[in-house]
Amino acid sequence: MSILIPLLLLMLALAGAPLFTVIAASAMWGFWQSDIDLQVMAVEIYRVAEMPVLIAIPLFTFAGYLMGESKAPQRLVRITDAFLGWMPGGLAIVALVACALFTAFTGASGVTIVALGALLVPALKKAGYRENFNLGLVTTSGSLGLLFAPSLPLILYGVIAQQMSLDTPVSIDDLFLAGILPGALMLFALSLYSAWQSRHIPKNEETFDKAEAWAAIKDSVWEIPLPFVVLGGIYGGFFAVSEAAAITALYVLIVTVVIRREISLTHLPVVMRDSMKLVGAILLILAVSLASTNYMIDAGIPEQIFETIQAHVSDGFTFLLLLTVFLLILGMMLDIFSAIVIMIPIILPIAMQYGIHPVHLGILFLANMQLGYFTPPVGMNLFIASFRFNKPVMTLYRATLPFFFILLITVIIITYWPGLSLMLID
Amino acid sequence: MKRLLVMIHRLEDSILVLLLLAMILLAGYDILARTVFGGGIAWIPPLLRVMVLWIGLLGALLASRSREHISIDLINRLGGPMLKRISSLITLSFASIVSGIVAWHSAKYVEMAIEFGDMAFADVPAWPLQIIIPVSFGLMALRFAIQFVQTASSKGANA
Repeated sequence: MSILIPLLLLMLALAGAPLFTVIAASAMWGFWQSDIDLQVMAVEIYRVAEMPVLIAIPLFTFAGYLMGESKAPQRLVRITDAFLGWMPGGLAIVALVACALFTAFTGASGVTIVALGALLVPALKKAGYRENFNLGLVTTSGSLGLLFAPSLPLILYGVIAQQMSLDTPVSIDDLFLAGILPGALMLFALSLYSAWQSRHIPKNEETFDKAEAWAAIKDSVWEIPLPFVVLGGIYGGFFAVSEAAAITALYVLIVTVVIRREISLTHLPVVMRDSMKLVGAILLILAVSLASTNYMIDAGIPEQIFETIQAHVSDGFTFLLLLTVFLLILGMMLDIFSAIVIMIPIILPIAMQYGIHPVHLGILFLANMQLGYFTPPVGMNLFIASFRFNKPVMTLYRATLPFFFILLITVIIITYWPGLSLMLID
Repeated sequence: MKRLLVMIHRLEDSILVLLLLAMILLAGYDILARTVFGGGIAWIPPLLRVMVLWIGLLGALLASRSREHISIDLINRLGGPMLKRISSLITLSFASIVSGIVAWHSAKYVEMAIEFGDMAFADVPAWPLQIIIPVSFGLMALRFAIQFVQTASSKGANA
């Protein structure tokens, strides 16, 4: 019986039941077995209203959607092009940088591929890049940047880790710092590949055009302060994450609706609803996971798993290797938000037993998940891109493969070199 | 019946949009008040936190209306129409039952909160803030049940 119910729930999850119902059911099954009144579910769900940092989730998501619906993506591509377009492989690097920035602000939910892909794929094609390279680049970039502040997965990891009252506290500010170098490594590796790929393209005649750069700056005058205020504010310690989110949401709302008038007042509620659907889906999973996590920790499940693993794996090196394989499979099947709320409460205590720093674990976890987004055969972004660009999924498997191996190497570096993540924090 | 559903949808949409607007304005005002005017209003931060819960649950309701809940999408990506239909029927009934159980028990919880006069913050009673839990889960249970009936009765493979 004790194995039958979890197995049944796993089957239901694989059959496509909303994950929150699977998690809620497993929590209630656990509570019921321990003779705890199920009213506890309401207590646990209400805990969502007791975590101040969560305010950042609806506010950043809304701001991201609003920017995605406005003409900000075009301006972002224009300004990056003006500044980076003259380099070898310039346009491809433009695509990478623009996508990474956009993903950091919109939370890696496929929005990047939809909002920026339509601009970048035709532009890359015109510049003479191979179609497979273009598709692979844009699909890969859809999850690039989730290690950079203020990405929602980083925030969510911090929230979950803070719930667990660890000996080493995990602050979201530390996570934001820790993500910089690993994220930059991924960006750098892909830029190198892009520069190499552009070798057969007739020499880029474009030189740095001062007039265009100035025009692009003027064009983006309202967006330029945003990364400085948000990133500068957070990294400089001027505001908390939730405050940065509040400023961003209010600022973007005023700029897009009142000043630029790119989103009409009738369209605004639609954008609000669409963005809050995603927020609802994330917060609901978080709410029911608070219940299941609480039960799981009370029942000592992480310790049991640790003992089982410890019997076979004694060193951290092998553990990290197994973890990487496991996370790749997980990231392919599960979206990043549920992966964090479901797996971190189990993995984090185990990883700490193997001497892995909780901040480093967060970074390597997200780096693996980023790869999972486009791991064949079922990574989510492969399907979003296939739908968006109207190409068979098989084409995208082939197109993303070189990118997959490049990022796999960076993920391994990030996993086995804790210093890369930890050197910016003390 | 159909008109009632449309009315409920409109109501959910409007509450959600108003809450989000209020949240953006209040959160912005709060920062301004604390940094520029040198002191915030005590009830704003706890109110904002409750708004997160409300927005989250109302957003979740919306997601269940258009079937955009986070799930493992293997079967939709790789399965055939028959398999999709069967798994859809099984998972919808399961989702409806689970949401119903959560709604039922959280309703009892809110009932107790009324009975004992629980307080949330300042002089605000807790139950009006908590009521969204049974209401949203109840509506989700209903919605999954409606989708189950729709899927079961549609002959096509578009389930």
